[in-house]
Amino acid sequence: MWRKFMVFGMVLVFAVSFLLAAPVTIRFWHAMNGPLGKMVQKLVNEFNQTHPNIVVKADYAGSYSETLSKTIAAVKGGNPPDIVQIYDIGTQMMIDSGVIVPIQKFINEDKSFDVNTLIPQVRGYYTVGGKLYSMPFNSSNPVIYYNKTLFKKAGLNPDNPPTTWKQFEEVARKLTVKKNGKTIQYGFTSGLIGWFFEQYMAVQNALMFNNGNGRIKRATKAVFDSPAGLRIFNFWNNMIQEGIMINGGPGWDNANAIFASQKAAMLLDSTSDVGMMLAEAKQGHWELGVMALPHPANVPYGGVIIGGASLWMINTHNTMKEKAAWEFLKWLEQAKQQVQWSEGTGYFPINKNAITKMMYEGFYAKYPQYLTTVFQLLMSKVDYATRGGVTGVFPKIRATIEQALSKVFDHAMTPAQALKWAQDQADQAMAQYNSLYQ
Amino acid sequence: MHPAFTLAHQEVIDLSKKLIPYLLLVPTFLIIGLFIYYPAVMTFQKSFYRVSPFGNRVFFVGLKNFESLFESPSYQQEAFTTLIFVVVSIFVGLVISLLFSLLLNEKVPGIGIFRTIIFSPYAVSPAIAGMLWSFLLNPVVGYVSYAFLRIFGVQTHWLTSYPAALMAIIVATIWQNLGFNIIFFLSGLQGIPESYYEAARIDGAGAVKRFFNITVPLLSPITFYLAIMDVTFTMFSSFGIIDIMTQGGPGNTTTTFIYRLYRDGFIYFNSGMASAESIVLILIMGIVTFIYFKFVQKAVHYR
Repeated sequence: MWRKFMVFGMVLVFAVSFLLAAPVTIRFWHAMNGPLGKMVQKLVNEFNQTHPNIVVKADYAGSYSETLSKTIAAVKGGNPPDIVQIYDIGTQMMIDSGVIVPIQKFINEDKSFDVNTLIPQVRGYYTVGGKLYSMPFNSSNPVIYYNKTLFKKAGLNPDNPPTTWKQFEEVARKLTVKKNGKTIQYGFTSGLIGWFFEQYMAVQNALMFNNGNGRIKRATKAVFDSPAGLRIFNFWNNMIQEGIMINGGPGWDNANAIFASQKAAMLLDSTSDVGMMLAEAKQGHWELGVMALPHPANVPYGGVIIGGASLWMINTHNTMKEKAAWEFLKWLEQAKQQVQWSEGTGYFPINKNAITKMMYEGFYAKYPQYLTTVFQLLMSKVDYATRGGVTGVFPKIRATIEQALSKVFDHAMTPAQALKWAQDQADQAMAQYNSLYQ
Repeated sequence: MHPAFTLAHQEVIDLSKKLIPYLLLVPTFLIIGLFIYYPAVMTFQKSFYRVSPFGNRVFFVGLKNFESLFESPSYQQEAFTTLIFVVVSIFVGLVISLLFSLLLNEKVPGIGIFRTIIFSPYAVSPAIAGMLWSFLLNPVVGYVSYAFLRIFGVQTHWLTSYPAALMAIIVATIWQNLGFNIIFFLSGLQGIPESYYEAARIDGAGAVKRFFNITVPLLSPITFYLAIMDVTFTMFSSFGIIDIMTQGGPGNTTTTFIYRLYRDGFIYFNSGMASAESIVLILIMGIVTFIYFKFVQKAVHYR
């Protein structure tokens, strides 16, 4: 009898200790495919090797909007991942979702984490109502890529790129080449992307929405139908109608192809493409320059807003899992991992120490193109305008602005009409969304 | 053997004979029920609600979703776009496919290779097709734009101006669906006995007369089938092409019903509105199918 009891007890102790030692598994959904996805997996593998008690299982969940809709479906199905990568404009939706844990909670509890290592411009974006909601991850901002070889051909100094809109227009004019009345080279090209409009608003230190861009309290009205907004519409439209800018159409690929094939001398694009553009330049035997966004003269300069995505923690009501997830997020933010991530992808590091490290190691001296991307961000103000707007219907508003712009370019509306129309649409969408949370 | 026992045995056999078909149908019904009827019922229910993206806020709004849908000027514009898109793609698509099938029905050496080439677009996914076309139509580096510039001397901004963008979408859709139509037309053509044509030839009918009096009527059942399949294809599968090529623009001029639904549901996360839109689509498809079977089927010549 005694013996049986002892054997049973031993087995029990053994089983329990085994269970306790079993690693915690964290499911992580991300939206990075191709080389970016491989880089994420590489970081995850490294984490798993150095943290025997935690197993992070990373899965590619599709594009940003696909990842968000999969997350929504998983939440409804009761089986969400522990960490999910959500794009910048999904921030308000995630806050309102009722299924997340703001990482501010862990920052307050964990004294080993210094939140000041995060670049203020990055931290500012994901801080709403004084709380840091998600861990910044892949961050980018917009820059203008330019073809130094074509600059030289046009008799322009490639080391003195334009800094104001007026200068920019003049340079674009000089870079436009016509033959037999047909344009064979455009000064400037850009995809039809609403994000660029938001950026030029921030450059002018202008708000997109009321209530401090939706950061003091929930935004209820759009305010981008302003002199600043109209200035942007006119700036682009004048260049298009004059034939010195060519509209690359929706998405990034067409404008990128136009620039990479040297049919346009300047391109408005994201910093995350810097690696790809360097490769294109090398292949096509031309020299790539990167300039910060020019701004209208006589308008106070604001700065640029970060784009990209951040990592959100889903509330699984499991302290062990949450702790493990926090360990992973903290580890990703460390300088060493950030250097790896930035050098491997073109996204800039979100950790101040990583930037310093890259500077000392000579990375920025070797690739000055990367320096512009970081430099521009660090020089930006940290204000409501430059931290970017927050609203639950941002995907729709971004698409509406794209629609409005294409109507202007296609002569269906004047810039003023289109801007007013877009703002009305935005107001309606916001009112409808907000009515859900009253 | 006892007569009563035989009778009971016979009854068991009869019963199982009656039951077995139903049993065999159970898996099918399970799949249809779970993946078609259940979501359809849920969609119907959801169309009366306003729902937050994560579904944590749900408000009953009655017919409000439908009201705001029909009141919206953009939805009226999309209805018009959808109509043009569907009618033109199907009509032009069928005519071109028939012409190609006539050519591919000739007994020429290497015809198998031509058939394979013509059929191959159907094997390409709509997203890839969209990407291909958007590169071909790139205003500066696209081959089609280049050809247009050389031949007609015009620089057309295919994907960023109206109505060029709608035309581009229609062309891409027709191109993608060509193979499917042609395969069916070819099989139909091969089913027409050569003797009909011989008889007509003896009676002195020319090639055009033979085509309209023999080929067209005898192909009508296949044309009828293809038209219905093409309505489904253009109404439902077209959003991949649109999403990649124009994203519904410029303005809102290439947004069809299905693309609007996709955007409202999966980009804007407005599931109440998207549900209302899919109910409208279900009704339209119901009406189209009803009209087709009721009136058009009578005109079709079956052998």
